[in-house]
Amino acid sequence: MNLRWSILGLGLGAFGLAVVQLAGVLEITLDQALLTVVGGMLLLAAFNSFSRRQQERSVFETPDPEHRATVPVPGHSLRETVNQFRRERYDFTSGSQRIHEGLHGAAVAVLTRFEGLSNEQAVERIEAGTWTDDEYAAAYLSPTLEVEERPWQDRVAAFLDRETSFRQYVRRTTAAIATIGYGGLGDRRLPKEIPQYDPEEFENVRPRTTDLETEGVVERTDRQTGYWTGVGGLALVAIGLGVLSQTPGVVLAGVIGVGYAGFAHLSRPAVPEISLERTLSVTDPEPGDEVEVTVTITNESGSFLPDLRVVDGVPPGLAVVEGVARIGTSLRPEDAVSLTYTVTARRGTHDFDPALVLTRNLARSTERTFHVASDTTVVAKPTLRPLVTDVPLQAAAAGFAGQLTTAESGEGLQFHSVREYRRNDPLNRIDWNRHARSGELATLEFHEERAARVLILIDARKTAYLAPEPDAPHAVDRSVEAAGRIAASLLDAGDTVGLAALGPVERDSNHQLRLQDTCWLAPSSGPHHRMQLRSLLATHPQFSTEPPATDTQWRAQLRMIRRRLGSETQIVFLSPLCDGGAIRTVRRLTARGHALTVISPDTTAERTTSQQLARVGRRIRRFDLQRAGVPVIDWPADDTIDEGIARANAGGGR
Amino acid sequence: MTALTRRPTTISTVAAAAATIVALLTAVIGSIEGGVLAVFGASLIAVGLFRSTGRVVDIGAGSIFVAVVVAGVQGLSTELVVVGTIAAIVAWDLATNAIELGIQLGREAQTTRLESVHVIASVTVGVSAATVGYGAFVFGSEGQPVGAIVLLVLAVLFLLSGLRR
Repeated sequence: MNLRWSILGLGLGAFGLAVVQLAGVLEITLDQALLTVVGGMLLLAAFNSFSRRQQERSVFETPDPEHRATVPVPGHSLRETVNQFRRERYDFTSGSQRIHEGLHGAAVAVLTRFEGLSNEQAVERIEAGTWTDDEYAAAYLSPTLEVEERPWQDRVAAFLDRETSFRQYVRRTTAAIATIGYGGLGDRRLPKEIPQYDPEEFENVRPRTTDLETEGVVERTDRQTGYWTGVGGLALVAIGLGVLSQTPGVVLAGVIGVGYAGFAHLSRPAVPEISLERTLSVTDPEPGDEVEVTVTITNESGSFLPDLRVVDGVPPGLAVVEGVARIGTSLRPEDAVSLTYTVTARRGTHDFDPALVLTRNLARSTERTFHVASDTTVVAKPTLRPLVTDVPLQAAAAGFAGQLTTAESGEGLQFHSVREYRRNDPLNRIDWNRHARSGELATLEFHEERAARVLILIDARKTAYLAPEPDAPHAVDRSVEAAGRIAASLLDAGDTVGLAALGPVERDSNHQLRLQDTCWLAPSSGPHHRMQLRSLLATHPQFSTEPPATDTQWRAQLRMIRRRLGSETQIVFLSPLCDGGAIRTVRRLTARGHALTVISPDTTAERTTSQQLARVGRRIRRFDLQRAGVPVIDWPADDTIDEGIARANAGGGR
Repeated sequence: MTALTRRPTTISTVAAAAATIVALLTAVIGSIEGGVLAVFGASLIAVGLFRSTGRVVDIGAGSIFVAVVVAGVQGLSTELVVVGTIAAIVAWDLATNAIELGIQLGREAQTTRLESVHVIASVTVGVSAATVGYGAFVFGSEGQPVGAIVLLVLAVLFLLSGLRR
């Protein structure tokens, strides 16, 4: 405190002397020696201010609410991908040994499935190295083979490429396995070149402004930006040099610098009394519609807000397609500014996050951040529009008239056979043409058409939140969309349809799974049922478009669904088939005698070695299911569900 | 999806470039040494704006400021030194501002109002500081000008550091 007062006193004294001298009352002559001392002191002070640890200038980095929350691509981790081909998982082998075992397992798997070899034959071929043309791949998996010494050009190239020979082996072996794995079903072409070993790097996206509950205006941080750091030191240098060289202009340059340094301490940013209002062009859009969002920010306070930077809290499930959800502005009292951007509505319920508001003083030396909440919600319910093609059901049917054409004869539309007339056959079934021709009485028989009872089961476990690209529509989004279309088709045809999911459920206070939260709608029909189905697909938390945080405990859910299922109900299972859990689900349901069809949105990619291996893994699972008599409809990422099913129907799907 | 381009915003960048050119010209008029240093500083500012690195802009603008001071010591007229100094600090301020706004809001966001306020504030502060200092210089030019100004500056410095916190 004392120091402060003495500094203030010195300042006032200097000011008084200056005024006295300027007024000419007293002539003070500062001689050369004194000037040199003052100049030297100023330079020392400047040096001191530079050498002291100063506050670094720093920028608050804003999140990216314009982006959707991203989901992993199948095969994002080589270690996990390789594990699915290994027999024993719980041992302590080294990483490279694990990859070796995994690739060996994968090679055996593709050889036994797609080349028709027995297990022993496959192992023999791998040991002999005759399973592939690639000598690197052959040598990697065989204990006896060696690759010929590489020519020096290759070695130099590999060195410059920073690729170790281990990586080279793994890449080429995976590609060789994929050659066999893709060829098996005949409809996929190989990539032209061997994909990269390194995992893909994606931008680190923070799709939410905040996870915290916010109401009204809440302050989060208040900090010095260090914006003018260094300007005071420079000013001292100039004044010191000016005094030493006795040039008034240079001293003036220093005075200007001091002015800026003072400006930095002039004011503090106020708490912005602002209101934020969002209006949407459509409040209940259909999935895929574009929604225009207009945000109006009004300064409700009586003071000028010089520096306001706003990042709107676009929901993590929605992506901005046009315009910018950010604005930088300054607002006079009662003034308002608005910004407009367009998002594409995606299925589900999307709550807007609070907007992030940064405010600074005029000098930008202090920055405070606030979250400003304004409740806005977009609900996009999927349309129950029927498919253009028939849903490929299996021939297991309930006892009502419906879509399913059976092999049995009876009432129906499609001609089945002609049989001898029996007494009491209805008159409209008698073949009168034949009677006119020959006088005999015969009765026409038709294929009997019965209703199917179908449960649509959606795989919404954490492991199903996968997409071929991190911000592309993921498997759960596509499954739910397809479920709506399939349900509409079946309901239109008179079948009864139910809906269930394997997905995230929370635990209650006793750490028990809250199984009653599992989505379950028993098969039924009628307009009310149709409404229920639509709203479940749009709003049930298990179908959220945001990936869940924790792994899904799905076995208890599956047991519950199995208990509730009627015996003659058939199941349409929508799953990306990217883990063993999906296969176990199918096995458990078919073991109970339910006819089951898998519709599998393809989410695999092949930009890296690990992704390529994940794709081979899915292929093998698909093949195994088909071999066990479960029809699997592959639904490629760039096809609509109509195209996917039409292709399966054309290939003799049912 | 439209990705944000987190590059320096347009208005501040243009204004910073203009200020850099003014400061550069005054230093070049003043002396050869100052001119060379200013050209070096200006190119650093350009690099810093291009690569969005504030540190490079700091060094560049600091060099221009020193260049103007050197030109002043070597006999550039007081008025030009004042203009050059303001231009150097404004260039530094606006270039930093453009980079920070680019990082926080991106180039596509509407920032016209905000940036105009910044340009005006930055220039106004420099001009008012210069007016006060220049006024004192003109008033006291008959007596011992440097002495009076030094006393004034010391007064401001002491008062500022005393009043802080």
